[in-house]
Amino acid sequence: MAIVNGEKTAARSAPLTETSFIGWLHKNLFSSWINAILTVVSIYIIYVAVKGIWVWGVEEAVWVAENRRECFKISKDGACWAGVIQWLENIFYGRYPRPELWRVNLGGLLLVVWMAPLWLPRVKNKIFIGLSTVFLYPFLAGYLFAGGDKGIFMQVVVSGAIICLIGNTLHTIIGVFSGGGLPENLTRLLGKTDASDQNQRNTLLAILAAAFVVVFLLQMGWTVEVVPWTKWGGMFLTLVISGIGITSALPGGIILALGRRSRLPVIRVLSTSFIELFRSVPLITILFMATTMFPLFMPEGFVLNKLVQVTIAVCLFSACYMAETVRAGLQAIPMGQYEAAHTIGLGYWGTMGLVVMPQALKHMIPNIVGSFIGLLKDTTLVSIIGLFDILGMLRSISQDVPWRGLHKEPLLFGALLFFIICFIMSKYSRHLEVKLSAGANR
Amino acid sequence: MAIRGTHDASARVKPKESFDFLHDERVRSAFYQLLTAGVVGWLIWYLVTNTAHNLEVRGMNTGFGFLSATAGFDTDFKLLEYEPGVGTYGRIFLIGCINTLLVSFLAIIASTILGFAVGVLRLSSNWLVARLALAYVEIIRNTPLLLQIIFWYVGVFALLPRVKQSLDLSAGAEVAFLNNRGLYTAWPIPGDFFWMSIVAFVIAVIGVFVLKRWAHKRQDDTGQQFPTVTASLALLFILPGMVFLATGSPLDWDVPTLQGFNFAGGAALPPAFLALLIALTIYHAAHLAESVRAGILSVNKGQTEAALALGLRPSRAMTLIIIPQAMRAIVPPMISLWMNVVKNSSLAIAIGYSDVVALFMQTALNQAGYAVEMVGMTMAFYMFISLSISGLLNIYNKRVQLVER
Repeated sequence: MAIVNGEKTAARSAPLTETSFIGWLHKNLFSSWINAILTVVSIYIIYVAVKGIWVWGVEEAVWVAENRRECFKISKDGACWAGVIQWLENIFYGRYPRPELWRVNLGGLLLVVWMAPLWLPRVKNKIFIGLSTVFLYPFLAGYLFAGGDKGIFMQVVVSGAIICLIGNTLHTIIGVFSGGGLPENLTRLLGKTDASDQNQRNTLLAILAAAFVVVFLLQMGWTVEVVPWTKWGGMFLTLVISGIGITSALPGGIILALGRRSRLPVIRVLSTSFIELFRSVPLITILFMATTMFPLFMPEGFVLNKLVQVTIAVCLFSACYMAETVRAGLQAIPMGQYEAAHTIGLGYWGTMGLVVMPQALKHMIPNIVGSFIGLLKDTTLVSIIGLFDILGMLRSISQDVPWRGLHKEPLLFGALLFFIICFIMSKYSRHLEVKLSAGANR
Repeated sequence: MAIRGTHDASARVKPKESFDFLHDERVRSAFYQLLTAGVVGWLIWYLVTNTAHNLEVRGMNTGFGFLSATAGFDTDFKLLEYEPGVGTYGRIFLIGCINTLLVSFLAIIASTILGFAVGVLRLSSNWLVARLALAYVEIIRNTPLLLQIIFWYVGVFALLPRVKQSLDLSAGAEVAFLNNRGLYTAWPIPGDFFWMSIVAFVIAVIGVFVLKRWAHKRQDDTGQQFPTVTASLALLFILPGMVFLATGSPLDWDVPTLQGFNFAGGAALPPAFLALLIALTIYHAAHLAESVRAGILSVNKGQTEAALALGLRPSRAMTLIIIPQAMRAIVPPMISLWMNVVKNSSLAIAIGYSDVVALFMQTALNQAGYAVEMVGMTMAFYMFISLSISGLLNIYNKRVQLVER
């Protein structure tokens, strides 16, 4: 005989140690006595650090003062942010002439406008936009920053860049609102939808040519004042050098990486030794080499300014590091892809350009962002050889008469600035990594 | 069978070899290689002739004769005997190299220890500790090293008390002082029979190795374990200690004492050295911590579970199963990090520590010229170090590489 309980026993609620806040505390902070000690020690460290930073940096800090002595008068144990605030423009722009600052800002804004479409999902032909950012934007920005007389080459490139900018923007607006692209909409507007491809292409080229002529004529009268490179400085200079470094690093790195993986021994040996040469010495020695030995390398009477020397050195340096990133990306592509490409009759450049590189580049994007962060940080080294980049500017605050001896605050401000920029970029590269590998993870 | 054989042979008639000169692969590859070699060769020739011409026009001296010429400047930190006006440029180069290696070596050891500790803390089950370690790693990794070095130098070490108010690090024993001129500590001076203690120590180290092999063999044969760690520690301490006492404690300490405006005696480390060492350690430890964390995470969870299923305690599972496998992923980035420590120690120039770049490539170069030779020698030094370290890495990689099908 069996007694069966017909009623279902109600489920007991989970124990308190598993669900509530106390449960979380128990599990994550006090699971063993060692963990409890660690928790207490950590809380103490956090308390001391936060309190110290708060009292020194905020509560007792001086925000407005004329000089360091006044800072001391107002508060002895606080930070003197007044000096940093007074130098804020210098920190960002160096000694760039103040009435001309709009050029730097406009240059930055143009970059944002130029690159924003790359993040908008509905825009097509992003490769073209990306390529134009690398090959045209630098010239337009370069002219904006440096100014002076445009030679015929600059006139042509600047006109091209302006047209490209207008085209990109229109293309993006159309893309976002209607989902098409600029070329299709232009042909529709002209009623040429039914015309042959040849006809359509010719029409578009004609429009492009006309636009080029108009822009070329318009920009001929437009000049901006010369700003010598010696006046460039601050965050602006840091971004210019590292920006040029990273944009030239990609093509340079691809070529070097392909060379290193080449089947031709001479090319392979040359590429490998070039890469290893630059990777095995510190950047500072390369910068010194650039400033002391470039003048000797060049033909007599040919003088490069320091900024150009340094930029070339940074470009070579970053290209060699990028080459290793690219090589890692290339190695991740399985042999079958090469074989498949050969099977359908593609040659070396076809295989690389159409099959291997696009896949490898996708894998490399997070690492490229990582190298950019590294380069941005490394660019501070140019302050050692006498350029007034952001670190140079931060350090010259302590040499300024009213703020003599103000070391800590500017450096901490610079650290905060770098932290914000680099942290956002590294989080973004993490995000990209997850997003790009989403397709590969089943 | 025979029929098939003849059939195959007839089908394999070679197509008529038509030698197309332009499209032959060997011709093309030879052409491209010759072209590249030619362009690079021309570039080198161009740079060399330009340099030679420029050197001649500027009347600059060339050759390595300067290495035996006397240098007229002094350096504040040197481990070799050197006297300005007597010592040579060659000696200056050596002093610079040793200074670079010294600070790099210490920073490598310290950052490896700290990096492993933080890497393990990053994975701690304690939420707060893991967050604290994360904050350290993120803050340090996202700010430039140069800025950190300068911060330690001008923001910390320059603000230390003056010589008269030195901090006594030994808590009243007066053997180690810290002030804004650096760190002063007592330094041992070996006496007459001190070498015997060192020999005893070496013998003890060899003994530990022998003991370890014997213990392993015994465990393999009989299954019995031997307390190797305790025995080794005892051997390492007791044998040299007894010899040391038997020879009459032949070790004196040179204690720094305040004389006039500065300390005399003992060992002195300049603030630039300390700032550089601390900044390098903290910066690279943060990078290493990430590699350690990634390495430990890269070991399959099944390995932990299998180890626990075998009945190993969690600590044994970690030391016997997880760490050895994680090392395979940790060591390559760790060694390239060591290389970075050596390279980044060149930032010493920003705070005036006399490493090879600051001493030889800047001061000596400004004094004597010889730009090409001096820059070349400095770069060759770094290349030598980097290639040695990466050679080490390759040997290690060969040994631990997973043997796959």
